[in-house]
Amino acid sequence: MTVIDLITRVDAICKKYEKYDIDKHKEANVTGDDAFARLYGVVESEIDAALQKSEAAATEKSRATAVAMNAEIRRTKARLLEELPKLQRLALKKVKGLSREELEARNDLVYSLKDRIEAIPDGSTAAAKQSGGVSGGWAASSSYTGIKIDSSSEEAFESEYFQQTEESDRFRQEYEMRRMKQDQGLEVIAEGLDTLKNMAHDMNEEIDRQMPLMDEIDEKVDRAASDLKNTNVRLKDTVNQLRSSRNFCIDIILLCIILGIAAYLYNVLK
Amino acid sequence: MSTSDPSKLISKADKLTKLSLTRWSADWKSATVLYEQAANGFRVARNYEKAKLAFEKASQGQEMLSSPWDAAKHMESAAALAKELRNWAEVIDFYRKASELYMQCDRPQPASDALAKGARALEDALPDDAIQLYTDACVILEDDGKEQMAFDLYRAATSVYVKLEKYTDAAAFLLRLGLAADKCNARNSQCKAYLSAIIVYLYAHDLKQAEKCYNDCSQIDAFLGSDQNRCASKLLSAYTEGDVEEIKRVAQSSAISNLDNVIIKLARKLP
Repeated sequence: MTVIDLITRVDAICKKYEKYDIDKHKEANVTGDDAFARLYGVVESEIDAALQKSEAAATEKSRATAVAMNAEIRRTKARLLEELPKLQRLALKKVKGLSREELEARNDLVYSLKDRIEAIPDGSTAAAKQSGGVSGGWAASSSYTGIKIDSSSEEAFESEYFQQTEESDRFRQEYEMRRMKQDQGLEVIAEGLDTLKNMAHDMNEEIDRQMPLMDEIDEKVDRAASDLKNTNVRLKDTVNQLRSSRNFCIDIILLCIILGIAAYLYNVLK
Repeated sequence: MSTSDPSKLISKADKLTKLSLTRWSADWKSATVLYEQAANGFRVARNYEKAKLAFEKASQGQEMLSSPWDAAKHMESAAALAKELRNWAEVIDFYRKASELYMQCDRPQPASDALAKGARALEDALPDDAIQLYTDACVILEDDGKEQMAFDLYRAATSVYVKLEKYTDAAAFLLRLGLAADKCNARNSQCKAYLSAIIVYLYAHDLKQAEKCYNDCSQIDAFLGSDQNRCASKLLSAYTEGDVEEIKRVAQSSAISNLDNVIIKLARKLP
């Protein structure tokens, strides 16, 4: 027998015994006119998906992905809880082809659905409890259940929390040490800057002090320079006068005359 | 002429200046020249006593020749020699005379310089007179409107006061320094002066006075916004709380380490 033959035979057998197929009936029910059943089916499938996701999140190693998944689960839960009042209203509606017991059973189903939704672990069940209490008119029951579950979820929370710090403890220590070192370095820089600032201020004041002195020096030097120039000019005039050629020639002539007279006297007296 | 014996020069000069029958008026010009030469000769020979005398006489001669500048210069040299001889009364005398002569020349700055030199010479021996000289020097400068030069003098006077343990006077001087700094817009010096004054008061265990001083200084805008103000307030609060550790920590801070050495020592010794 070939595979194809096998498949066709299996299909034939399935068709024969279809009426015993519960899942298909369920699906058929859902695709029918029953809005409640439809919604109920949708909600149930979403709950299953959320449960699967929460299991995956619990086993997830990376904190970031775990947190993201938890957030998604929480969002789904909130959405489902919002749809629950609608479901309840639908549950009370009378649908043809449905017995009274099944109607009441539907109400109980809706209640249990709520519990199932809230039981989905999402890493911060306490917060979900509170959000569940806000939406819809389930205030009384939710607050009661809230108190009971709060304590247990807190414990769960703490154990989860502890795990986190064990992992990131080293990182935090390193961060603290680096910050301390930075602080120390900044302090050293601050002190150096203080000294610089003080020196700069002192230099500023010193220069301010010396400015008028420099001005005075400038003035005095200018005066002395002009005096010198005057004196130089006068000296040049005087020396020129002294050295004028006329006086010089007269001096030489007179000198020669005196020498002549002296020589004459010398000769006469010899 | 300069190689000849200085004592001979002095006797010659004396003869020139002494009035007698043959001399109706003293010949100060040549005498002064001789006195100067003699004084230099004595100084080189390290005969300080005679050199001092010679300088005195030279200065007198210059005065007679109506050149107060040279007279003052000689007086200063005489005073320096008197300092070598540790003749403190003469030191005071000479420096004061020199300063007066400088004032005659209308030069207040060398006048105060002369007084300051005298004060510095006397710091160890006669601190009270030193303070007097410092004060006079500061007054001269302030009259001339040159307070900036007075800063150093004020600081020196404060250190002398601190040595004498006259803390209120020291603080008063520091406040005067602050006032002078204010006039010249020397904000940094002003704030430092006020901080030093507060520290001096605290050292004298006068908390009320220190607080009063702090309140007075807080009126001044320049001080209010300065580093020194923060430091002072920290110090005072540490004192009122009686927190010794905090006081020591503030004393080690940089604002105090920028002050005068004497004040730093006081601050470190604080509580």
